[in-house]
Amino acid sequence: MTAIHEAPPAAATPPAPPTRAERRVLRKADRRRRFLRDRSLVLMTLPAIALVLVFNYAPMFGTVTAFQSYSIYAGFWHSPWTGLTTFQRLFNDPYFWHALENTLTLSLVQLVLFFPVPILLALLLNTVLSTKIRTFVQSVVYLPHFFSWVLAITIFQQMLGGAGALNQFLRAHDMSTWNIMTNPDTFKLLVTAQVVWKEAGWGIIVFLAALAAIDTQLYEAAAADGAGRWRRMWHITLPGIRSIVVLMLVLQLGNVLTIGFEQMLIQRFAVGRDASEVLDTYAYFYGVVNANFSLGAAASLFKGVLSLILILTANKVAHLFGEDGLYRR
Amino acid sequence: MNPLDGVRADRRRFLELAGLGALTIAGSGLLAACGDAKTSSGPGTTDKNQLAKILPAYVPSTAALTPDIPSAPGANGFFSTPVYLKYPASPVATVTGVPGKGGSYTTMTPLWGSIPSSKGNTYYDTVNAALGADLKMQPADGVNYDKILPPLFAGSKLPDWLMIPSWNMGNLGFADAVNKFADLGPYLSGDAIKAYPNLAAIPTGAWQSCIWNGKLFGLPTYYSAASAGGAIFYRADIFRQLGIDANSIKTPADLEGIAKQLTDPKAGRWAFGDIFDYTAHIFHFPGDPYRWTVDASGKVVNRYEMPEYLEALNWFAKQAKAGYVHPDALAGKKEEGKQRFWSGKEVITGDGTGGWAGSDAESGKAANPSYEKQAFKLLAADGKPAMPMNPASSMYSFLNGKLSADQIKEVLSIANYLAAPYGSTEWLTVNFGKEGVDYTMTGGNPKLTEKGSKEVATTYQFLVTPVTPVPVTPGYEQVAKDYAAWEADMVKHAVKPAFYGMNITEPAQYANLNQPMVDVSIDVRYGRKPISAFTDALQTWKSSGGEELRKFYEDVKNKYGTGQ
Repeated sequence: MTAIHEAPPAAATPPAPPTRAERRVLRKADRRRRFLRDRSLVLMTLPAIALVLVFNYAPMFGTVTAFQSYSIYAGFWHSPWTGLTTFQRLFNDPYFWHALENTLTLSLVQLVLFFPVPILLALLLNTVLSTKIRTFVQSVVYLPHFFSWVLAITIFQQMLGGAGALNQFLRAHDMSTWNIMTNPDTFKLLVTAQVVWKEAGWGIIVFLAALAAIDTQLYEAAAADGAGRWRRMWHITLPGIRSIVVLMLVLQLGNVLTIGFEQMLIQRFAVGRDASEVLDTYAYFYGVVNANFSLGAAASLFKGVLSLILILTANKVAHLFGEDGLYRR
Repeated sequence: MNPLDGVRADRRRFLELAGLGALTIAGSGLLAACGDAKTSSGPGTTDKNQLAKILPAYVPSTAALTPDIPSAPGANGFFSTPVYLKYPASPVATVTGVPGKGGSYTTMTPLWGSIPSSKGNTYYDTVNAALGADLKMQPADGVNYDKILPPLFAGSKLPDWLMIPSWNMGNLGFADAVNKFADLGPYLSGDAIKAYPNLAAIPTGAWQSCIWNGKLFGLPTYYSAASAGGAIFYRADIFRQLGIDANSIKTPADLEGIAKQLTDPKAGRWAFGDIFDYTAHIFHFPGDPYRWTVDASGKVVNRYEMPEYLEALNWFAKQAKAGYVHPDALAGKKEEGKQRFWSGKEVITGDGTGGWAGSDAESGKAANPSYEKQAFKLLAADGKPAMPMNPASSMYSFLNGKLSADQIKEVLSIANYLAAPYGSTEWLTVNFGKEGVDYTMTGGNPKLTEKGSKEVATTYQFLVTPVTPVPVTPGYEQVAKDYAAWEADMVKHAVKPAFYGMNITEPAQYANLNQPMVDVSIDVRYGRKPISAFTDALQTWKSSGGEELRKFYEDVKNKYGTGQ
């Protein structure tokens, strides 16, 4: 992911403040030395860089369609340029603003209700001393991550759906049924619950790693000084994982406009467009499905730019608070 | 009596049908006012004179057989499909030599079912060996086919031979799409087709629906002389158990009347699946592929504007709110609908008529030994049953425009083999693969072996098909008889909808109009939104392009008529 655990560069400290020219020479020499020292590490990143270039940067060329009246038959080279007309159409479309609003509220709900869950789960697991139980619990909570959304939602439907296990049980005992799978009003809570069920277990991995990195001597010393369980958590555990929490939060903010596309697509007919339309499904239905690629590209480009601004802002804020954020300054 | 007379007569009638007014105008012609200035062709349809020049000649097959249940004549020149209860004991060969020249071609066809592995697939190997060519079969998920196609065109990744169903064309801007395909006119129009006798035996009506913008682009598949959009099916065994007489059900009100009795949530049983799309013929609004019609005053109207459509929405919403519709159907779980019907969780469902076959009965009986599927005789809200007919063919395959003339000729020879009629040796190979490995003859009919049922899928048949009788599965002959009886009754009420068989391609800028209407229509019929939400959306639809699209259809009507 990032260079958080990387050792600080072993730069030599010059005895007297050098001139600007000297500084440049030094910096250059320093850079070369660092490169020589880290060359095998740099080499190892090459496949990843190639991957990003081919699959992330090259396709960005396709965003030109947002400024064209793109026809799938004419292609990039022969479709007429239309400037910002597509964006005008996009911003005049109430369905687009509705999709944006849905995306933002859903993100907010998930930030509040989902984001803390893996942290709490990790803290909880960390207090379990038996490795056997810990590994077992960990495996069980990881498992749903490997299910596809189709499967996950089918399980929810089989359990909580109108004809699912719960409601059939209620019917069998002459109790009133509970409609959660097709209720647009509570849909935001439902999708968040689904995300918690599917992803919380997976999300704890990085926090567990951060917890494992905390020096156990600190706990021993604190315990010797008479600190109880809560004080140890407050003064040692939480500060120990703070930088990771902030990093994950910054990354999460960069993703606020990307809300489970498949999850929404699969449940669209169950709750209707009003409740389930997010930016990605909007781009899909109005862009891909109706072969109106320009509009889809414009919506996605808008989303991409906004996400970049969000992630940079969040990073800036993290730095202001003295945290590392995405990278060390 | 000549044993071949029966089918010949049917085919002659098919030809007559083709000559009727219904098919006087299909295909193309540029409507300048609405056309796209950038392209040579554009939205529109084809006029009568052009058609006469393009259509291939019709030469009936000499290998035809007498059906056990001959086709029944219906209204407006339509007639039902014949049934052959046993495959001929000594099938004839209709193709001499090997049609292919060793060429290699990629194909893509939709498949509604699990996609077979191509590795070690005896079926593919057998058919390819018989064809003398290497057809690389790439079936793709039929349910999501409409979403697979636009990127395929956009990426210029078209296969050599591609099938596109008519209901997937709406979003493709098909007037432009066809320019990517080979014009088959020079090879097939008029007498040229006689070089391919099995293709020449395809009725004119089916060819007519393969014409766009004044050119013959398509090869027809699964055409019929009475193609209905679907039917309302019920579980006859459950009806019997509850003492309900299906013949007494004639109107939607009657359906509603038995819904309470059929619904027993405690037992996990509900009266209906999401049958809304199949109620078009009951309430008399145009179902797909037709979205426009002409009202009594002669005005062109969209189905969303019709009181009949509102009535249907209201009716279904009422069933949904009353709790008569299976909750999973209301959660949009369409793809599991068949399972629910097989296991008796839904008693009444809607489906295409192709789903009324031995294979369905086999699956149904596996879930429930007493399983019996029947279709209601046509219901009607106003007491006047009518079934609007789909075009003779609504699925077509196309050849990539990049193929050379020699390659096109080779592919057409291959198509000639694939179009071998029922009763021929080639038909057995194309549909069942290798005898003894993929199928065995059981009770006079071919039956897939266990290996065969994993390998054989509807793939080659979606490239081109001969006249297709009602399929018979050994052990399920009764299903074919039931279907034939229903169809014989249905064709009596067959009508030609407005713009019948005209292959109209709408201007691309209106492609997005439909989506909000689809969404709100689902919201209303599932009972989530009041009917006023629908009428509000309709106002937006009108002002954001609906009125312009009406003008487009009025122009088509004035220039080319309505195809009726």
